[in-house]
Amino acid sequence: MGATTSVHRTVDAVWRMESAKVIAALARYTRDVGLAEEMAQDALVAALEQWPDEGVPKNPGAWLMTTAKRRAIDQIRRRENFNRKVEEIGRDVQEATPDASEGVDDEIGDDLLSLIFTACHPVLGTEARVALTLKMLGGLKTEEIARAFLVSDSTVAQRIVRAKKALADAGVPFEVPEGPELQTRLASVLEVLYLIFNEGYSATQGDDWMRPELCAEALRLGRVLAELAPKEAEVHSLVALMEIQASRSKARTGPGGEPVLLLEQDRGKWDWLLIGRGLKALERAEALNQPPGPYYVQAALAACHGRARKPEDTDWQRIAALYEVLGQISPSPIVELNRAVALAMAFGPAAGLALVDEIAGEKALQGYHLLPSVRGDFLLKLGRTQEAKAEFEKAAKLTRNEREKTLLLERAASCGT
Amino acid sequence: MRFMVWVRSPKPLAALHIDSLERAGVLLDAGDLVPHACGVSGYWLIDVRNREEAVERIKRIPLPACVVEIRQVAVV
Repeated sequence: MGATTSVHRTVDAVWRMESAKVIAALARYTRDVGLAEEMAQDALVAALEQWPDEGVPKNPGAWLMTTAKRRAIDQIRRRENFNRKVEEIGRDVQEATPDASEGVDDEIGDDLLSLIFTACHPVLGTEARVALTLKMLGGLKTEEIARAFLVSDSTVAQRIVRAKKALADAGVPFEVPEGPELQTRLASVLEVLYLIFNEGYSATQGDDWMRPELCAEALRLGRVLAELAPKEAEVHSLVALMEIQASRSKARTGPGGEPVLLLEQDRGKWDWLLIGRGLKALERAEALNQPPGPYYVQAALAACHGRARKPEDTDWQRIAALYEVLGQISPSPIVELNRAVALAMAFGPAAGLALVDEIAGEKALQGYHLLPSVRGDFLLKLGRTQEAKAEFEKAAKLTRNEREKTLLLERAASCGT
Repeated sequence: MRFMVWVRSPKPLAALHIDSLERAGVLLDAGDLVPHACGVSGYWLIDVRNREEAVERIKRIPLPACVVEIRQVAVV
């Protein structure tokens, strides 16, 4: 590896570690997340230009922070000059100006938390929140986000520009929300993290079943959030859920990349370190004695599987009961579909099929490939093979994932003619 | 990717400040080994994007004079 390449890889690593902290500290200083992000990017460009010649500084994070801060001060001074000139000609311009004497200190915890809440603000659409979170908190480059979501670089760049403008237009303050607003805003943050994780865990488009880099990033951000907000049970619950789900990554696909269903997975390939971490995170959530939220119940469900060394050790009755709780907290036909699977496992396929047939008319399930897939599975177990075959074929037509489609067609073929 | 960081230190590892690894969400596990004549040994298991990030993260920990070895964990 050449010296320049080596330095660039170090710059990348430092950027990934420090960018969120730099942006967060600058955002507190400038009160403008968009400007903060631009100044941090300028510092990154300066590092890429200077470090190959001058060497990597002893404290690269502080170097980035100082450089970005200087640029921000220049920018603010230019704005202040502009404003003064505007005032001189009698225009009424009101713009919040930062306190130029305010320093950037090492206590960035609150700043980072403010940045998370800002990037995930509900004023933004889902795609914008995801892009902004990965860019500003994950330190991912635009092209990395584009590659992860199989869209063009320009699409992601536009999303980010529009998101920053939307935040500025809405006057979103750079702060940690308090009181009743905190729970709503926290829900938005958790939703973004879980969306990122799920997009990595069950890719909705493309040939790959999983995109592990997205899972890893969501998990890392979840752990960071759990350190910043240790008294929020739902944060620990989401971390628990992601840890346990991520533990199955290596067992979820076969040698050809085809998906392997949960009960058919080789549990020796599960990552028991992550399962242990997930169970600990769940204990932290339980220790807070807060009313169970949707992530808690989902994590408890995942833990039921995580505790079972063999599929036959799974406590399906507890799983069915937990789905009932989840259905009360977050009523959804998809939760009911999962409950049907648990009922079938606990009490036999006929019990599951009865519930599936009850919810089959739900509007939200029309076009959802797992409905015919699950129904086909129950029918097959009940020996109604031709009906099962038709359901698997229907499911294969509905899924957008190529590998899942192959699996479903194989199941249909195994039902005979 | 995962890296195992072996540390041979004259001070107990519990006295070393590794909060930064925890706060960054990259520390998966940590443990001590049985002490021997050269001092105290222990390990940290971290999950980072690449070797450079592993090195940069460990460089930020205020360590006493000690031996540190950073090895990537093989993916089976």
